[in-house]
Amino acid sequence: MDPRSFLKGLHPLEIKVLLRYAPGDGLDAARLAAELGYVEGHANQAQAWLSAKGLAAESGRSSRNVYELTSLGRSWLEAGSPEERMVAWLAEHGPAAMPAICQAVGIEQKDAGSAYGRLSKEGVLAMGQDKLVALVDASKSLRAAALKALLAKADAAGGILEEGALGDAERALMAEVAKKRGAADAAFKAAERETVTWTLTADAAAVSDLLRAEGVSGDELGAVTQEMLESGSWKGAAFRSYNIKSRPARLIPGRRNPYVQFLESVKDKLVSLGFEEFDGGLVETEFWNGDALFMPQFHSARDIHDVYYVSEPTKAKSIEEPYLSRVAATHENGGATGSRGWRYGFDREFTKRLVLRSQGTVLSARQLPTASVPGKYFGIARCFRYDKVDATHLSDFYQTEGIVLGEDVSLRTLLGFLEMFAVEVAGAKEVKYVPGYFPFTEPSVEVHIKHPVLGWFELGGAGIFRPEVTEPLGVSVPVLAWGIGIDRMALMALGLNDLRELFSYDIEDVRLRRAKL
Amino acid sequence: MPKIEVNEKLFFSLVGRRMDAAELEPALETAKAELDAWDPSGPEDERVIKIELNDTNRPDLWSTAGLARQLRVRLGGGIPEYPFFSREGDQRPADYRVVVDGSIRELRPYMAAFVISGKAIDDAMLRDAIQTQEKLCSNFGRKRRSVSMGMYRIELIKWPVAYKGVDPDAVSFVPLQSDESMTLRRIVAEHPKGKEYGHIIAGSPVYPILMGADGGVLSMAPVINSADIGAVQVGDRDLLVEFTGTDMAAVCLSASIVACDFADAGYEIKPLRVDYAYDTPFGRSVTFPYYFQQPASVDSGRVSKLLGDSFGPEQVVEALARMGVRAEAHGQHVRAAVPEYRDDFIHAVDLVEDVMIGRGMASFSPERPRDFTIGRLSPVESFTRRAKDVMVGLGYQEMIYNYLGSGKDYIERMNASADDVIRISNPMTENFEYVRPSILPGLLQSEAVSSKAPYPHRIFEAGKVAFLDDARNYGTATRQRIGLLCAHQAADYNELAGVVSALLYYLGEEYSVDDSDDPRFLPGRQARILIGGEPVGVFGEVHPAVLGNWGITMPCAACELDLESLL
Repeated sequence: MDPRSFLKGLHPLEIKVLLRYAPGDGLDAARLAAELGYVEGHANQAQAWLSAKGLAAESGRSSRNVYELTSLGRSWLEAGSPEERMVAWLAEHGPAAMPAICQAVGIEQKDAGSAYGRLSKEGVLAMGQDKLVALVDASKSLRAAALKALLAKADAAGGILEEGALGDAERALMAEVAKKRGAADAAFKAAERETVTWTLTADAAAVSDLLRAEGVSGDELGAVTQEMLESGSWKGAAFRSYNIKSRPARLIPGRRNPYVQFLESVKDKLVSLGFEEFDGGLVETEFWNGDALFMPQFHSARDIHDVYYVSEPTKAKSIEEPYLSRVAATHENGGATGSRGWRYGFDREFTKRLVLRSQGTVLSARQLPTASVPGKYFGIARCFRYDKVDATHLSDFYQTEGIVLGEDVSLRTLLGFLEMFAVEVAGAKEVKYVPGYFPFTEPSVEVHIKHPVLGWFELGGAGIFRPEVTEPLGVSVPVLAWGIGIDRMALMALGLNDLRELFSYDIEDVRLRRAKL
Repeated sequence: MPKIEVNEKLFFSLVGRRMDAAELEPALETAKAELDAWDPSGPEDERVIKIELNDTNRPDLWSTAGLARQLRVRLGGGIPEYPFFSREGDQRPADYRVVVDGSIRELRPYMAAFVISGKAIDDAMLRDAIQTQEKLCSNFGRKRRSVSMGMYRIELIKWPVAYKGVDPDAVSFVPLQSDESMTLRRIVAEHPKGKEYGHIIAGSPVYPILMGADGGVLSMAPVINSADIGAVQVGDRDLLVEFTGTDMAAVCLSASIVACDFADAGYEIKPLRVDYAYDTPFGRSVTFPYYFQQPASVDSGRVSKLLGDSFGPEQVVEALARMGVRAEAHGQHVRAAVPEYRDDFIHAVDLVEDVMIGRGMASFSPERPRDFTIGRLSPVESFTRRAKDVMVGLGYQEMIYNYLGSGKDYIERMNASADDVIRISNPMTENFEYVRPSILPGLLQSEAVSSKAPYPHRIFEAGKVAFLDDARNYGTATRQRIGLLCAHQAADYNELAGVVSALLYYLGEEYSVDDSDDPRFLPGRQARILIGGEPVGVFGEVHPAVLGNWGITMPCAACELDLESLL
């Protein structure tokens, strides 16, 4: 044991014990109270802390009876016991009927009954033929006087009387007025108290010596106070060392959500690449959700098992012209786009049907009529799919989408953008492109990246919007369109592996989460 | 997206050489296909490769022979020739004939058919044909609605075959997977395939039937074949393959795809003439397989512009040839003859993509964009971030929740009205049946599941809500809002009043409060927030009845504020 190892961790309550006593001295709370002025709580803390360090050990344990003054007892102390009150009132008002006395002195009938019983036995009170109670001899009221003295004695002792401190008569009276259980209607509560005796261990001697050698008194200053600073009283005083190894208290700070922060970091990166953010409503029409993207109305991804429909109202009041007519013609025969179209009868009622936005590309299409050339736009859009919810599917989730408009944009500039996303947004080390398929882009590519942790995976899809998409919406320049999947990166950044956890309701779970952004 | 299984041995024999996975994976990119699984165990003849096809406009790739063809051509195998195709004004002589009756015109008017011959069908090819039938008819044929396919044993057929509509109670036959003769109506009502596909024809007074000259039934299209003529087995020679449907081009293309597949596998394709009682887009009498595609064309300038590399017309022709597309240059103009098995050249840009793949993705180097544009967040996002910063400073933890939920959570537990809540008409489960009209249910759900988290709880979420709004074109409105909730022993109106005051001060808003009677909050301890006289939010002590509905036993105060109104 290195005595020095204890030095910093000792509290003044422990230090004073160590300096005052030697191993073998019998210690208990009463002794520490008498000799060091410790209240019982402090004495117990000193014992507990020293024991935890191996510097003190219990040497014995005994129990004793104590009597605690109850709140009823305290009220008797102030207003008098029922006996006292009856005697005092009768002395002043003369004989009276029992109920009248009860009401006048404010005691219950049953309490009054037993008080009368005791007093009449002592010969203090008597009841005449007229059923009136009369005072006979107030000086015979010995029990009431003894009780009053007992209550006062308890009050003087801080509300607790040790059994050993009572004389025989007091002890007999206490047995009548104290209760162990249900003490609310008794003047005292009888309880058992344990006294623990303990001693300093042999190891403590070395620590005590060291304390003396170092000049530690236990009177070193605790907190730095405003008063101390104003008065300068700290000068020349010693400050107590704190135990810096103790575990700090937990704080619950206000804090951002790591998943939202991840999404915002992606937005910030896209903004830094010159993209302007777009946004839109959660409810869309079939027109924007599919028709404007040149997905034929019979396309399998537009099935009732892929898209959520709004139950009421089921349809938009109208679809914006001239886009509706142009898109309808494009589906039917290509319209003015140079396409042959899908060659079917475009349903102008179906196109008004309200759905929950199922793909972020909707926002790209919506942006086209008002987009600038050159222009770059993006959005992280909450989308909805008819999917069974599990670790890799959610019924609502985010998609990251964007477009680039320019006279001279091409497949090669698209690859240039995808490379920038791969490196800047996803932290990829290697990138490769393969031909892809999307109903609204031609040509289409998929971008695969080699991520330092996740290995090769598909980052997203992209392409050049088909003229059947852009021209009906009034855009004649090529438009690059891309969508990147960031869920897997989000899970990795958050150290999760289940998409459902991104939208966790568990407060503690979210509080403890840390993100590597 | 279709997934297919190809027989390893058949596939590589059609590709022209064997490959390992490292070689196959990049080769599949030409067909926008991905290797899904390749189990190397088991006898060589039975090993299969599972492949996922991404292009829903290329049904020709959804078979062993079709996918192998794309790879073979791209590896330099040359453009295949299919001399058995008839063309407009050039019908091949046909030994077989189907007569289409006027009675089928309103129900399922189009039919194409041909005969395969020359060698007995083996197990791998029969399995593949069944898979082709399934993929073609379910994905491309819209679950047999627009195209269905059947195969039959020629030796049992008496020619000519009739395709017609008949009284569903007057004709019966023994369908596959059954051993008793049933009327057409009974098959639709009782047979498993009838239950699955019968709805396509059930509303019609007549049902479609293919019947030999002797009255023998081949099948009830598009539902089920007969158990004799329609039961094709390994070892059968000379099969009739037939397609019916509602879209002539789709029916015709499906026939062409299957014919080319069997031709590639070494079978002889024999033409068959279909005589219609009415006009079709390709005439009244059409001999199948029939080449119906129109030429596609693109300018080399357009190719260069879209791909970002300079292409001369000859280079376009060369790249297309590597995709199996025969083309000729006429000045800058390139005119392509669409392959017999494809019909996906809807616009010139579709040719551009084939040029891209034909040239090879690796030949296009990424180019940094030159246009300068200014990036910026949306006003809603920027403003929301300001609000969130204040909330964090006030000690609140940000949360993020789903936007779909149950009526129980969004309406019943909130003691709120269902009047303006958007309901989904086809929910998958009642857990995701409504769009959230408010952020508060999410916050209360958090509190309900977090009673073990050390208190106090102070949480918020900023995000979208949507609700019915008859004044708008879509009958609904989407708004950006912030919701906050504090839960602890002493959580009360006054605490939230201080938070609302601080939040709005730092957002630069002057506000006032007014009486509120929102059933979600305790009467007399809630307030509407007004800015410029307009209500923009509400806060107060959450009603004990609402807390009870959520099983929450800790006092809660909450606020919801419409951020978009403050912009």
